[in-house]
Amino acid sequence: MRQQKKRRRFIAPQDVVGIKVNCSGAPQIFSAPEVAGAIAEKLVAVGVPAANIWLYERFESQVRTVPYAEFLPAGAQIWTAETTRGSILGYDPKVYVETSFFGEDDTRSNLARLITDKLTKIINVPNTKEHQASGVTGCLKNIAYGNFSNVARSHQYEVTNTKTFIGTLAATEPVRSRVVLNVMDGLRGVWHQGPFSNEARFRFYPKILMLGTDPVAMDRQLIELIEAKRKAEGAVSIFERARTTLGNNRDPNKNAFIREPGHVEYAGKLGLGVYDLDRIRVKEIEL
Amino acid sequence: MMLLLTAALLPRLFWDAGPETAPQLQQAGVEKIAVAADRVASWKGLMEVDAADPAHAIRLVAPSVDYRANQATASRAPWINANGWRFLRAPAGEFVYDVKGAQAALAAAEAFSWNANALIRTDAAGLGPLGEMLRLLRGVPAEDLAPVADFGFEDDGSTAAGEVMNLFVKGNLLFRIVPRPEPSLKIHVKLGTKDYPLEDAKNPVKIAQMARANLSDDRRSVRIYGSAVVVARLMAVPDRARLHLLNYAGAERRVDGIRIRVAGEYSKATVLPEMKILDFEKVDGGTEFTLPEIRTYAVVDLVK
Repeated sequence: MRQQKKRRRFIAPQDVVGIKVNCSGAPQIFSAPEVAGAIAEKLVAVGVPAANIWLYERFESQVRTVPYAEFLPAGAQIWTAETTRGSILGYDPKVYVETSFFGEDDTRSNLARLITDKLTKIINVPNTKEHQASGVTGCLKNIAYGNFSNVARSHQYEVTNTKTFIGTLAATEPVRSRVVLNVMDGLRGVWHQGPFSNEARFRFYPKILMLGTDPVAMDRQLIELIEAKRKAEGAVSIFERARTTLGNNRDPNKNAFIREPGHVEYAGKLGLGVYDLDRIRVKEIEL
Repeated sequence: MMLLLTAALLPRLFWDAGPETAPQLQQAGVEKIAVAADRVASWKGLMEVDAADPAHAIRLVAPSVDYRANQATASRAPWINANGWRFLRAPAGEFVYDVKGAQAALAAAEAFSWNANALIRTDAAGLGPLGEMLRLLRGVPAEDLAPVADFGFEDDGSTAAGEVMNLFVKGNLLFRIVPRPEPSLKIHVKLGTKDYPLEDAKNPVKIAQMARANLSDDRRSVRIYGSAVVVARLMAVPDRARLHLLNYAGAERRVDGIRIRVAGEYSKATVLPEMKILDFEKVDGGTEFTLPEIRTYAVVDLVK
């Protein structure tokens, strides 16, 4: 009963809830269907009808490689914004962030229609991954690049615009206020070549689940996690900006981009959360 | 300003085979052809025919998209092979396409959009797509509309100027060729001036971007969202407009969803081929709407 009360701080029975998974590295790495399924079960337990639970992601081609349906309660929905890659039909034409990075003609990044049309709450379920362009891909990037169209344009060249774009998107309403809980799936992770995981040698197993309401604080923890793993593997820091590190990323000391892990601190300055480690309270539960 | 009868010019199939192929052409939907002068007589009575000489026509590139994903490039935008600038440089010219298969349909739509006098030479596989496109184009109502231009460009006839115009067309930057600055246009672009130095014209992309920046996106008459391979041609008079939309990847793949913004507030839109227009709205002095798909070509008529 007490547990249910706690959960209802975030979700009410009348809510329509999105579970935003991350499948950008599927089928090698993705938000575990067991984790997504457990979240959905708890939603049902607090009174949300299964039909009002929407597991979603941008690309159908990635989601269909993961057996989410097997782990969701009967009646729960699976939705993708792009049933064919590049289609804009799954996005709301009236809600977008407009900017030009490299002279591209399509200057809009539109928010997924599911969010503007249906969802009242979102539970964000990212992975623990390094990202070649943004440094890490955790809560912020999953909720930003995972909900808007036309975002890859920010990292087409070695120097990217991920530092400011991720936070800008994550701070856009109604995304900002609808994400009420983050559950970072760190059962598996990627410490190099992310967000993909084409080479198993760059995969690792932190065996953690991180829960929180502050995406900046959680991504700060993710930075620490990835940095520690890379240090243990003898790889350069994700904060390294020397051009000498640009190159073929089969070598863990090389990368195609100058990484921008500073996007997490930048998001903190937009009011999305706390970046300062001294002000972050972490409560660990060992199972 | 001169008005154009936009449905006046349908591209013609230039056909090398003999009159025994007439049923094949008719079955494909081709009603009119052009042949070499010495063969006109042999086609008389079989179908509408006139004489043409492709050897004296301006050769066009096959309209298409080169993705070149495996090559290092200065831009990640797909490379569109388009001919709009050639039509603008020689508005009275006769043109010829050599295209295969489904490219014939795109060639016909491109020439039609630019009201160009064009011959299309194609193979047997191109007859069906060409005939289907010609059927669609014949159904586009005639209209007296003027091409919309946001800025003027002084074409000095050089290769550099040609490539700059090509980039303007592919980037949906609407312009017309002018001999001198025109006050009615928002900006004036001339290579070799302070704003557009010849040195910069060595990189035509830079010139195109400078013109876009000086014009500003807010003042552009048409914007395309959701595809990097669709080129628009806008014609208008004060109370109505026609927007031609060409999917340069149309021979291989359709565009699933495209958002369009046109300057000016229009109340109604109709589209060929027929489809439901989505999310139509007037916003900030413009009109925006979504087309659920573009296979090769679509034409949207807007009324205020």
